[in-house]
Amino acid sequence: MTGDSVPIALPLSRLASADGEAATLYRELRKPLLRYLVCLGISSDEAQDVVQDAFLSLHRHLAAGGSQENIRSWLFRVAHNRARNHQNRYDRRFGMPLDAKEELVLDETPERAVLDKEKFQQVARAIRLLSASEQECLLLRAGGLRYREIGEVLGISISTVSDTVSRAIKKLAEKCNV
Amino acid sequence: MCDFSDKLVAWLDRELSMDEASNMERHLWVCSECRTRVDAYRKISVAVDAYCDAASSTSMRRVVPLPALTVIGAAAAVLTLFLLRPYTHVEKPLAIPPPAVSSQAIVREAPPSPIKQVHRRHSAPPAHSAPAQWLPSEQAVQIAIPAEALLPPGAAPEGVNFVADLSIASDGSAQRLRFESQLVAVERSR
Repeated sequence: MTGDSVPIALPLSRLASADGEAATLYRELRKPLLRYLVCLGISSDEAQDVVQDAFLSLHRHLAAGGSQENIRSWLFRVAHNRARNHQNRYDRRFGMPLDAKEELVLDETPERAVLDKEKFQQVARAIRLLSASEQECLLLRAGGLRYREIGEVLGISISTVSDTVSRAIKKLAEKCNV
Repeated sequence: MCDFSDKLVAWLDRELSMDEASNMERHLWVCSECRTRVDAYRKISVAVDAYCDAASSTSMRRVVPLPALTVIGAAAAVLTLFLLRPYTHVEKPLAIPPPAVSSQAIVREAPPSPIKQVHRRHSAPPAHSAPAQWLPSEQAVQIAIPAEALLPPGAAPEGVNFVADLSIASDGSAQRLRFESQLVAVERSR
């Protein structure tokens, strides 16, 4: 197990100095962050706020001379923790979040070519049955994060990430007919 | 289950070291059970990805006020109104106020656009929809229909609307129904 195959060290000095680069970073990571938060069960409005806050924190982090490495996991960690606080503040369960999506009416989207409504619900139900950490690992993995980055976001070791992702995928494969 | 099965997902995710990965690949050549499993894990991974895309894009779009079906229904109702309406006029004397005014009124009843970025064609001066003079023989009407009312989101490029051109003869029958796509101005909300 290496976990260091693709180190993500985005050049934050460029973000701090050049608006164009900052905009690129924002464009690149805003959508994956929103996607992760919404899949965790955060409303889209709250998710937008959380992502905005995360980028503001990033700005402060850079201005204070913080580390410029692993920005992707840094942003995900900040967003993840803020979302967790958000959820706790409103006394909602975190980690069992997809309840709100149960009655979700799927629009006709291009994604439906891959996943029809029935399979969507099946996958949604199966994900909801996973433990909080299994869901988080799975959704961060779906966000394109490496195991090392997932470990940084959640504060767990790479081997724990690997075991958790593996367990989550096996459970889903048993429950879903895709 | 063999010893390798616990590392299948990590192998899929390219998270194994070079040595571990090549051991796994050698194993997959000979173990059909693991090949079946890794195939299932790959499929479920793709499904989770598609689920995340669908869940987040649907959630982000939930501000859309009306489902497309309602809009289509409303459009059909307006169209029906149009096709029925001229019968009441045929019997009336020609001195009656020009129906161009009322036809405009009906055009305004067309369904609200579900997506705010799309400018309804109605907002433009109704050069075609309101004939300057009432012609008893033929009445031309144009109905703008937002692309979202007809096609699934994303199927039509942004800024494309559809326009139905209707000609109604003096006996009230629809003479011509022409349906065409149209590029309209696009206002980006973000």
